[in-house]
Amino acid sequence: MFKLLVLEDDKDLNRTVCAFLNGSGYQAVGCLNANDAYDALYGETFDLIVSDIMMPGIDGYEFAKTVRALNQDIPILFMTARDDLASKQRGYRLGIDDYMVKPIDLDELYLRIGALLRRAKIAASHKLEIGSLRLDMDQRTAVYDGEEIPLTAREFNLLYKLLSYPGKTFTRTQLMDEFWDADTDTAPRAVDVYMTKLRGKFENCDAFRIKTVHGLGYKAVIL
Amino acid sequence: MTKAKKRGVASYFIAFFLLTAFVITSSMLLFLTYFAGSAGVEYTRENLFTAAVVTFGNAVFLSVICTVVDILRRKVMVGRPVRAIVEAARRITNGDFTARISPKAALGASEGFEEIIDCFNTMAAELSGVETLRADFIANVSHELKTPMAVMQNYGTLLQGPDLPDEQRLRYAKAITEQSRRLADLITNILKLNRLENQQIYPSAKRYNLGEQLAECLLRFESTWEAKDIDIETDLEEEVFIESDGELLSLVWNNLFSNALKFTDPGGAVSVTLKTEGAFARVRVSDTGCGISPEARGHIFEKFYQADPSHATQGNGLGLALVKRVMDIVGGQIAVDSEPGKGSAFTVKLRRAL
Repeated sequence: MFKLLVLEDDKDLNRTVCAFLNGSGYQAVGCLNANDAYDALYGETFDLIVSDIMMPGIDGYEFAKTVRALNQDIPILFMTARDDLASKQRGYRLGIDDYMVKPIDLDELYLRIGALLRRAKIAASHKLEIGSLRLDMDQRTAVYDGEEIPLTAREFNLLYKLLSYPGKTFTRTQLMDEFWDADTDTAPRAVDVYMTKLRGKFENCDAFRIKTVHGLGYKAVIL
Repeated sequence: MTKAKKRGVASYFIAFFLLTAFVITSSMLLFLTYFAGSAGVEYTRENLFTAAVVTFGNAVFLSVICTVVDILRRKVMVGRPVRAIVEAARRITNGDFTARISPKAALGASEGFEEIIDCFNTMAAELSGVETLRADFIANVSHELKTPMAVMQNYGTLLQGPDLPDEQRLRYAKAITEQSRRLADLITNILKLNRLENQQIYPSAKRYNLGEQLAECLLRFESTWEAKDIDIETDLEEEVFIESDGELLSLVWNNLFSNALKFTDPGGAVSVTLKTEGAFARVRVSDTGCGISPEARGHIFEKFYQADPSHATQGNGLGLALVKRVMDIVGGQIAVDSEPGKGSAFTVKLRRAL
């Protein structure tokens, strides 16, 4: 069972979030200030941290910074009333993984925690498994039903990205920015060519489909 | 008579005296020079002295008359309009924004009072307009805030009832969640609007790809259009750059997209286009929703205005006010055209960064 740490100085909010997470199949531990959270983290291992920003004493930024310095991998989700871009930027620069603005929707929190944990697992193992399809990041291999499907490095990276975030649509420019050199002259339409190739190579694979979303971008849908 | 007034009267008198004395002396000198030269009159010390005293008295008398006449004229021509202006200014200071000055108080165009009164009345009209807006805003805010509060309170009370069947308990709890969500949205929007209106905004302008921003904003609504089975048509010209505050503009796109999806019935269509027009980029968001009546069109950018009461529960009437405010800040234009029953289209025009 995944263990989550919830750092939030408002008692009622802390209690409701913990109660909800405990009722959703996680084991949540609530802390009312950063020092308690440090103690908890010292005593046992956690899989994910949910933290407020504005707290008396040590605030969320400082807390996240300290945790990141000690642990590069643990997902941190900020849950805060501050909805300005500057606060978000500051958080992401410190290495947080997700950001939710209060009042938060508990169902959405559940979904996001699930996605963060899944991605953390993918990131830690460098492996992805969907049905009988296995992608190995270190070897850059895609194996479907025991048979390797040959992919170029860029094809593999694109596929790995899409399958790491199933259901999420990426625009062509977002994909270009990540997998093409910054000084490339290639038009965003070049992504289309790769998607066509990928679809062709995985024609017989019924683990996922690559969908075009209204000319806006692409997403992988798991079947 | 106050000291200042006394000093005023004295200075008028001295001015008039100097003037009359100068005029009389000059005329006398001219007159006597020519008259004495031709008539051969002898000046004796004695009659010169008498003439001087009489002339001096004459000058003093004329100055007094002029001073009195001038003071009376001022009392009427200046004092009355000044009193009217002071009176009106006092009423406005005390919060009575209906105070106006009758243009008749200016007594013609003298001394520029007409202009002052004109300006004053314009200012008073503006002030009372602002005041009405403020009063309406507070009334609207309190109504919008209190309604969901009341609903939540009621359901909370109902939930405390004993022997409540599970089904009802669930319904009440859902209603509370729903209302608190509505309240949260409202507060978020009020705070955003407040930040945009009352604080000095320094838009941080950066050059960025407008089409990409539109695509990313639109994609956030993917689950909404999928759930409502709404067809999305996009025609976004590529490589269109603008130099503006992206965070502020994303408020505009999010509000326009969410409105278009909200007012379009299942099975309808929403279309988003981006085109360049000379030095401008034109974004058009159109839907096949219920449309906006011509009467409502003039009001949609006002705070808390909701044209269609049947959708009132889904919004708070602040979205388009936010949009308008952002357009004012970034210096863009927004226009709407709509045919009731067929749909609406919002067009935003922004200057391109070349």
